Amino acid sequence: MLILSLVTLLVCISAILLYLNFESRWQQPKYPVVIAVSKTPLSTPFYVAKAIGAFDGTCVDVEFDEVLGGQRAFAKVMNGDADFGTSSDSVIAFKSLAGRAFVTHAMFVQSDNDVKLISRASAKVNSAIDLQGKKIGVTKGTASEYFLSNLLALEGLTTEDVKLYHYKPEQLMNGFINNEIDAFVPWEPFGFESIQLLADKVKVHQTKGLNTLVFNLISATADTLLVEKAKCLIQGLSIAIDYIASYPTQSKKIVINELNLSAEFIDWVWPDYIFKLGLNQSLVLSVESQAMWAISTQMSQFNEVPNVEHFIDSRAMLQVMPNAVNIPK
Amino acid sequence: MNISLLQRILFFTLSCCFLFGLLFASVIWSSQAIELALSRDNYAEQLTNQTNSLKQLVANDNIYDSDYSLSDWQNLQVKLTRLLKSSPKLTAQQEIIQISIQSQNESLKSLFTLINQNKLKNASETIKNHLKARLMIQLEAIRSDSLQLSAIAQQDIYNTIKNQAFMFIVVSVVSILALFFGAFSLTYIVRKSLNEIKCAFEKNHSGHFQKIKLSHHSQEFDSIADAFNTMNKKLSESTISLTAMEKIVEERTHVLEQLSNTDPLTKVANRRALFERADMEFSRAIRSHSKLTLLLIDCDFFKKVNDQYGHLFGDELLIHICNICRQEIRDIDFLARYGGEEFILILPNCDITGGIETANRIQHSLANNCLKVDSKEICVTLSIGISMLSERHKSLDQLINDADKAMYLAKENGRNRIEVIPAPNLH
Repeated sequence: MLILSLVTLLVCISAILLYLNFESRWQQPKYPVVIAVSKTPLSTPFYVAKAIGAFDGTCVDVEFDEVLGGQRAFAKVMNGDADFGTSSDSVIAFKSLAGRAFVTHAMFVQSDNDVKLISRASAKVNSAIDLQGKKIGVTKGTASEYFLSNLLALEGLTTEDVKLYHYKPEQLMNGFINNEIDAFVPWEPFGFESIQLLADKVKVHQTKGLNTLVFNLISATADTLLVEKAKCLIQGLSIAIDYIASYPTQSKKIVINELNLSAEFIDWVWPDYIFKLGLNQSLVLSVESQAMWAISTQMSQFNEVPNVEHFIDSRAMLQVMPNAVNIPK
Repeated sequence: MNISLLQRILFFTLSCCFLFGLLFASVIWSSQAIELALSRDNYAEQLTNQTNSLKQLVANDNIYDSDYSLSDWQNLQVKLTRLLKSSPKLTAQQEIIQISIQSQNESLKSLFTLINQNKLKNASETIKNHLKARLMIQLEAIRSDSLQLSAIAQQDIYNTIKNQAFMFIVVSVVSILALFFGAFSLTYIVRKSLNEIKCAFEKNHSGHFQKIKLSHHSQEFDSIADAFNTMNKKLSESTISLTAMEKIVEERTHVLEQLSNTDPLTKVANRRALFERADMEFSRAIRSHSKLTLLLIDCDFFKKVNDQYGHLFGDELLIHICNICRQEIRDIDFLARYGGEEFILILPNCDITGGIETANRIQHSLANNCLKVDSKEICVTLSIGISMLSERHKSLDQLINDADKAMYLAKENGRNRIEVIPAPNLH
């Protein structure tokens, strides 16, 4: 009886150990993946994931292709230069109008203060209504343009009530310095850089909370393999996001090093960011709303609102974090 | 380590108590964890309901109307904000979602305030619809986060119950195994030790004083074994076996017999042994009609030698005469001291001629081996009377008497002689 009990116990323990050993040693296939990462602190989960080796235990071997802005990241994905990209909901909305074959796998960060309105101090712009007739620089087809249109809308205005000038994100400040525009709408870190450089010459308007920007993981319309890769990416991002929540100081250092930014900037921008994985109805509604808004305000050349749900692929998220997915079927 | 059985029982009892205590603690912990998760779920549900109410309000009411009353919105908004401030303790993951909801709520408030502040009287329907949609999106974002909060809480409840069930099964299995093991090992030790002690008692009974060697040590059985071993040691020291005793008695009897049958000086048989043997030989000769001859040997002038050389020499002389006689007789012959300087030699299966030959050999041998005293040789002679069993001998005494007569005859005839009492018509 004693021997039988001991043998049973030993067999059970051995089976568990073998199982655990097998699980840990079982190597998944490694897929090389190129991600077009927007060079902004919004992409922190990606930088942290790579720095802490969060992708190591997954099926992807990640390589970053850093770009300025989600629009360029999107272009890289569509050109086939990258497998995945990071884009804001605004970019997704504008691109969905163009009927591009892409999908959003997950949203990983949100900020209600990433895009800012900066006006010339001498222009005496106190509120959005004062922008009427002013020359304003934006980056076309991005959160920058959408943000401005929203600000104007809150005063009953549209983009037709101002003179819009289109710039690449990194060239907005130059347009301002060259006096081509009275105000401009940059995202970070260009907002911070402008304030640092221009100091008293500019006025930064309090717009926190007026628009929530979310950054998303996108890819071309996904087949099963791409969904598998997206699943692995999301697994890595999930680890990174937990790390950010547990070790914010170390995470900030990683971003400072990766993006060559100042600690001052990160401290300034960090409280606005909420890093969390999700894929929910609010994203669908936001994209849809932005698309409709773009049509009605002639921000886009297209005039048909697509079915936004075609641009959402929840398969990867459902495998990793099913409770973070909330899209009615 | 020597552990007592009581300690073993105590140890197993405590182990089982500990395991069940662990189980009990885990049940309490789980119930608290489930209670907390339920409160989180309840909180998330309230958030969802509150957000749905706000959504219904935005969807149904015309917020741009100049007569639009803010009170309904504000009531719901205040409730939502208050609810957000009264959140239960959340997990790290839920805390992030909570922050997100708070941020979305702030955005919602800012947006609504601005919309309401400007009233947008002159704005187009497109703008109004868009901003209303924005409000709905903010609310949807809160609702989605609340649902995620609820889903996490439900997942926590599921995980807690699953872990508790697993814990319950593991602890129960371990407890049962521990109980089995404990009971079995205790029974085994007690049974084995009792058997070993029983074996030792049985061996003791048969006279084999052996120590108890216990295969399993326990203070209780060790103390019994120690007491038994001490007792055994004392017993083995003070007790000898029956066989050993018989052997000793036999040896002692043999020694005593030898002492009672032996002449202490000459170490030949004494008078008692002589008559015992002579009776036996006499009876046998009569019974088997065999021959029996008796020699009575007397040392000539022994008294004179004694007086001249002392009693010690006399004693040595007697020993010397016995040694000479022993050399010259057969194994079946029997030499005994008859008294003083007289010896009797019994010669079974020997006739008168054989007796004379033996007597002659003894006399010659003695003559050739004189005793030395202070480098001076002292020679003595023997007068030997011989008688042989005949019909007229009705008893041993008569035979001895004849040998005695023959010996006196030899003395009378000049000593150092052999005289025979004839035994005519024998058989």
